[in-house]
Amino acid sequence: MTRSIAVVFPQWQHQYGQLGEQHAFTMFEHVVRSLTTISPLVEVEEVGTVVMAARGPSRYFGGDVAVARMLHDLCRVVDSPFGVGVADSRFAATAAAHLAVSRGVPCVVDASISEQFLHALPVASLAHVGGISVDTVDLLGRLGLRTCEAVHGVGESALIDRFGTEGKHVWQLVSGAEVRHLAPGTPPSDFARHIEFESPLTSADHVVAATRLTIDALVAAIAGQGQQCVRVLVMCETDHAESTSRIWGEPRGFGAASLAQRLLYQLDGWLVTNEADPDAPTSGVVRVEFTPLETCEVLVVQPLLWGGNEENTERAARAAAMASAVGEHVQVTVPRWEGGRDVATVYSQIPIALVDLSDQYESERRVNTGKGVARDWSGAVPRPSPASIAVVPPEATVLNKAGVPVGVTGRHELDAEPAVVTVAGHTYEVMRTAGPWPVEERWWDARRKRRHVRLQLLVQNKRGALRVFLMGLENHQWRLLARYD
Amino acid sequence: MGHLLLPELTGTHSSGIETGAQFAQRVSARAEAGFGPIPVAPALASLLPSSGLERGGVYACAGDAPMSLLFSLVATATSVGSWLAFVDVPRVGLMAAHEYGMALQRVMCVNSGGHTQSYAQVVGALVDGVDLVVVSSPSCSAAEARRIVARAKASGSVLIILGRAGQFSPDVVLSSSTTEWHFHTHASSRTMSVQAHGRRVYNQRALTVQLPAADGAVSL
Repeated sequence: MTRSIAVVFPQWQHQYGQLGEQHAFTMFEHVVRSLTTISPLVEVEEVGTVVMAARGPSRYFGGDVAVARMLHDLCRVVDSPFGVGVADSRFAATAAAHLAVSRGVPCVVDASISEQFLHALPVASLAHVGGISVDTVDLLGRLGLRTCEAVHGVGESALIDRFGTEGKHVWQLVSGAEVRHLAPGTPPSDFARHIEFESPLTSADHVVAATRLTIDALVAAIAGQGQQCVRVLVMCETDHAESTSRIWGEPRGFGAASLAQRLLYQLDGWLVTNEADPDAPTSGVVRVEFTPLETCEVLVVQPLLWGGNEENTERAARAAAMASAVGEHVQVTVPRWEGGRDVATVYSQIPIALVDLSDQYESERRVNTGKGVARDWSGAVPRPSPASIAVVPPEATVLNKAGVPVGVTGRHELDAEPAVVTVAGHTYEVMRTAGPWPVEERWWDARRKRRHVRLQLLVQNKRGALRVFLMGLENHQWRLLARYD
Repeated sequence: MGHLLLPELTGTHSSGIETGAQFAQRVSARAEAGFGPIPVAPALASLLPSSGLERGGVYACAGDAPMSLLFSLVATATSVGSWLAFVDVPRVGLMAAHEYGMALQRVMCVNSGGHTQSYAQVVGALVDGVDLVVVSSPSCSAAEARRIVARAKASGSVLIILGRAGQFSPDVVLSSSTTEWHFHTHASSRTMSVQAHGRRVYNQRALTVQLPAADGAVSL
């Protein structure tokens, strides 16, 4: 049993998750950083929940109540409901913190009544904060076990008999044991891995890219023992001996991609180049260290589909890591289907270090075009798609036979027949015209709305060579969006 | 029972499920990929000296449709398991690449950051482990170019150049020239002639292809 302090923000995911998990984590990282002024080593298992050991800070600040008050005051500036709880196990502390949310004051469970508190908790909290599956908790409820005390009364062997490993987990929670996974233990220290960089790296993306092979090695070494890592201490150090430490938890076990993602979250919040921030590091990262704190046996093994060309993929991932190690200016990305309406936003690029390339299913899902659904909107330019897309579309002029600029009517029709196009000093004669295809984006939002049309032109240059251009008209300016080369 | 046709065994593609026929095709193509040249679309095979992309070779796509030509060259290889890296080709139209049959889950895009000193290092690192490396108007010295080609030969990768070849001397240059665009309601398909020349091509070969064809890929 470890006396623990929990701080929870139950609405966080709901409030900040709409812009993606990354955004929610990055925003949360700022809160976590302010909490580290109380205790340097805190654990983030999911976005919105922070747990730390109570003993050190309590001694330093003069008791659990004093620490809880300080945390409460720190969180008050955050624009999200929160609660602070202190109790004799991580589970009890988290449950206490959830109780504290509506009460508006910290909930400190004294050691003398810790058992009573635990036993009075409803079984639903096993699923809510204990990580037990909803199905199991539902079944417990239907068996007439409404409180943790009732579940405790069933006895360890009966729970394991009925629910197997999850029953063991339930027993550990309701009896106040800190252990949370079957056969946990401090993993042998040789699982710890670190990497040192010759020159300090100042961008979070680059640190993650440069660390990816180390992470792969760590995950592979643990997997080699039939285990997976569920809690890991990540420490990064700068050239000037500033450091950040964070414990990350993942009940389903860390894969290389998810661990890389946590490292990015941790660094994103820390390496902000904000001059005014006194805690911001003054140099780049030179060392990253991973110390697995808790492993568990692999319960669910993801089936590896045969024929995934694992060897090719492994070689490619290694080559990508080597290429990004050349320098901070090198970026290696992989495409992800976004389905944007502009030719330039159909795919986006995400850092390769954040992707698990060996997961064939995920890789295919990443680039899946949604089986043509996205093409059926009314303004879509028909296939085939242009082969070259302008990164910065150059300005162009489109004139009719009389030399008058061509525009578009309110009903998205051309007001004249295009005859001559000029792009970057080159003049082309228009042979055929297709479109225009209108796009109205976010027409309901006055600030962000966009209205533009696309036009396909078959043109001929002075030497008689044929080209097809995709032109765009927005704010009365024609641009060359893409070429069919 | 004789008329019972299982779609899984007859080769009809249903979403996400690999059919038996596709599986067999992929396995044989993979075996080929491991030893022989990297396969290209059948329509283009007759242009190339060894009917495919020779491992360790340097190719260039030129003319007025270099990008489409590139897609048609590499689509087959990526769909049977080869990885492809675009180095400094931010303009690549990935949707078009997808329509040519490229497997985008095995594509990476590299931005070398525009540092000429480290450009050769980046390309060198990539040819060590990526089967197909596409560069655009590469900027490196003759010595660096030789080193990159040597590394590509050692690891069995293929280097494909878009635009100016710079200090590289391609084994095969494929150049395209559009003869006709089929443009009715929109640009639908294009007829072009493709010539192959270069130091590994003993007599110039030429071919007329549909690129893209009406079905989006390439055909004779």
